[in-house]
Amino acid sequence: MQRLLSMNEATMKTKQENRSVYAWSLALAGLTFPLIWLGGLVTTHDAGMAVPDWPGTYGYNLFLYPLSTWLFGPFDLLVEHGHRLLASVVGLLAIILCFVAWRFESRSWVRRLCWLLLGAVISQGLLGGIRVLLDERVVALIHGVGGPLVFSLACWIVMVNSADWKNAESNLRASGLRWATRGLFLLSICQLVLGAHLRHALPTWRPTLFVSFVHTHLLLALLITLFVILSTIMVFLRPYREHRALRLPAMLLVGVVLVQVALGFGTWISNYALPWPELNAFFANYTIAGRGFWESMIINGHQATGSLLIVFSLWLLCRVERRCIASRFANKSDQNEVIEVFAGSRPNPVLAGPGVS
Amino acid sequence: MTATKYSNTLTAATYAGLGLLGALLVGCSKPVFLPNRLAAAAFLQSHDDPSVDEIALSAHELTDELFGTPDVPKWPDSLESLVDFEEVKRSAGQVGRAQDRVERGLYRKHCVQCHGVTGDGAGPAATLLAPYARDFRRGTFKFKSTPIGSKPTRLDLIHTIEHGVAGTSMPAFAPLRNRDEFSKDIEAVTEYVIYLSVRGEVERRLIRTATADQSTPTIEDALKEAAVVVAAWKKAEQNVPELPTIPALDREALVASVARGKELFNSDKTACFKCHGAEGRGDGISQDFDEWTKDWTIRAGIDPSSKSEWKVMKKFGALKPVVNRSRNLHLGAVRGGQTVDNITKRIVLGIDGTPMPAAAISEESPNSLNREELADLVRFVASIANVKQAQDATVALHERGHDEN
Repeated sequence: MQRLLSMNEATMKTKQENRSVYAWSLALAGLTFPLIWLGGLVTTHDAGMAVPDWPGTYGYNLFLYPLSTWLFGPFDLLVEHGHRLLASVVGLLAIILCFVAWRFESRSWVRRLCWLLLGAVISQGLLGGIRVLLDERVVALIHGVGGPLVFSLACWIVMVNSADWKNAESNLRASGLRWATRGLFLLSICQLVLGAHLRHALPTWRPTLFVSFVHTHLLLALLITLFVILSTIMVFLRPYREHRALRLPAMLLVGVVLVQVALGFGTWISNYALPWPELNAFFANYTIAGRGFWESMIINGHQATGSLLIVFSLWLLCRVERRCIASRFANKSDQNEVIEVFAGSRPNPVLAGPGVS
Repeated sequence: MTATKYSNTLTAATYAGLGLLGALLVGCSKPVFLPNRLAAAAFLQSHDDPSVDEIALSAHELTDELFGTPDVPKWPDSLESLVDFEEVKRSAGQVGRAQDRVERGLYRKHCVQCHGVTGDGAGPAATLLAPYARDFRRGTFKFKSTPIGSKPTRLDLIHTIEHGVAGTSMPAFAPLRNRDEFSKDIEAVTEYVIYLSVRGEVERRLIRTATADQSTPTIEDALKEAAVVVAAWKKAEQNVPELPTIPALDREALVASVARGKELFNSDKTACFKCHGAEGRGDGISQDFDEWTKDWTIRAGIDPSSKSEWKVMKKFGALKPVVNRSRNLHLGAVRGGQTVDNITKRIVLGIDGTPMPAAAISEESPNSLNREELADLVRFVASIANVKQAQDATVALHERGHDEN
């Protein structure tokens, strides 16, 4: 009975610690997405140098900059200073997450992931600062690639602390979907790098270089769409159809790809006008609104949805990896069994005696 | 433990990737004005003459000496003032604000991706655009209130920047007017465009002189050329002609006028049909290249339709020649402006740099259009272009077989 009680305490602690890391990582990931959106606005409005100093803002401490000048001053200053403030909050959350993980997280590799996230957030902050101090667009490009990677890392920590991660049964022997989702994730990252090259194109680039980036971006968009279709079909087929948890990320991926393709067309139109202007009067009369509200939102939306695409592909990948016996992330611990026992969803082997499963 | 290794590998890969990206790109971001090698090759009518680079660089150095760099523009003291140089400086350089909170780098913020640092119309996105972005260095602008060969007025350039060009990649920057801090940006960029155009045209003229007489230009030559170019810009306002107004007519007279206009459109006197087609759908038999293309193709002895011929100029920055197709007027997107006055302007003044000529207007010569005929022609074009003016819209409906009666 004593053993049973100590097991109960251990399990309760496990549940509590998982909730803490999960909650803080979820808050962090939830805040990183608007940060990416705001960072996108900085790029869309070329507001990266709206504040010429760093880490302060026009000589003020970042947090003491007058609210009225920030909110009612120039738009580019509003966006850039807002990006910095939100990034500071994300940095603070990353520190708290590391503390919580150090205090409660039993898995050393998850603790290391939290430290890695903190390092990545700090690196992003430094890159943002270097971009300002050196006034270099190349650094902005690297900073732009780093943002969605930090978001993905934060979401990965959420995923490995989720109920699905703990409860998933690792009994998949087939590896087709595993390779498809790995390919999809890798392609999404490549697409992010290419997209950042288009967003942060340097004025000195030759047209041939830029066009090669555009063509590769379009090719990857096609490949990603095919991989998403393939993965989604596979989750509804044997042997994956028994794992219904794979369906949600797959279906969300389909939705995100549809939105992303539409936004991609919109971005093209917002930048280069409608194709075939001689097709009809509407096409011929369309004039791009330079720095227009909707144009900005579409371009920004395309970039932000790209981050979601990476995260959703990572989500599917995580769920698949967790269920594959051959994966290094397969659920091999008996921890989930213990939780189920005390949650009452499985008979207690101690009380029921041998032979009961 | 394996997961730890996995995360370590991921960390290393991430940083290696970012480091590689940085290493690949750092150092290639310093914007400079590029020498006009294409003009040198075109004037020399040679793509393998070693003096192409020599001449282009020599002219380039002189213009840089006179006009500075993209980050630090200059205006020669001995040259007559033309542009608001404070606004030129504000539009130049990197995008951002300094401690004085004044926004700078407007050209790179709004224009450089298409028009390029040098204003050569060869920015990174250039080949994705149809038509290509304007090369300012020729000093030629399409939509203006001055005759062919004259410089545009400031208002012409401001109009194009503010309202854009429908059906093309040239955006309308009117939204900038909505915020106080950006409300003067269009005027500032206009000053910088004029600065780039003057700089580029001086360079081009130096190259032309150097290739014609095999001389090496000096700074004095450059200043003389600059004075000529600046004088041409200063005369722009005086070159604006008084255009005839198109009087309003009652419905019956209007329909008759449109019918006469259609006849004129299809006559040898105007020859509109040759390019625009009999119905004005842009499907005439005569389609030609614009002057920017002809400069380095036809005038340099190169057939722009033959890839094997024009591709030798690619190494000098030439973009694939594209035929300047005549407008399908039925689409209603009259790029010079969708008003009767603007249509009159385009017919009388033509479109500089394109195959669209200026019509000769004279009451005496039978080979020229008289004012009545001009009015008929304008009304016909306005009717098929469905220009949004009540009277003409009525005619448009009539033309399309939707008579209100």
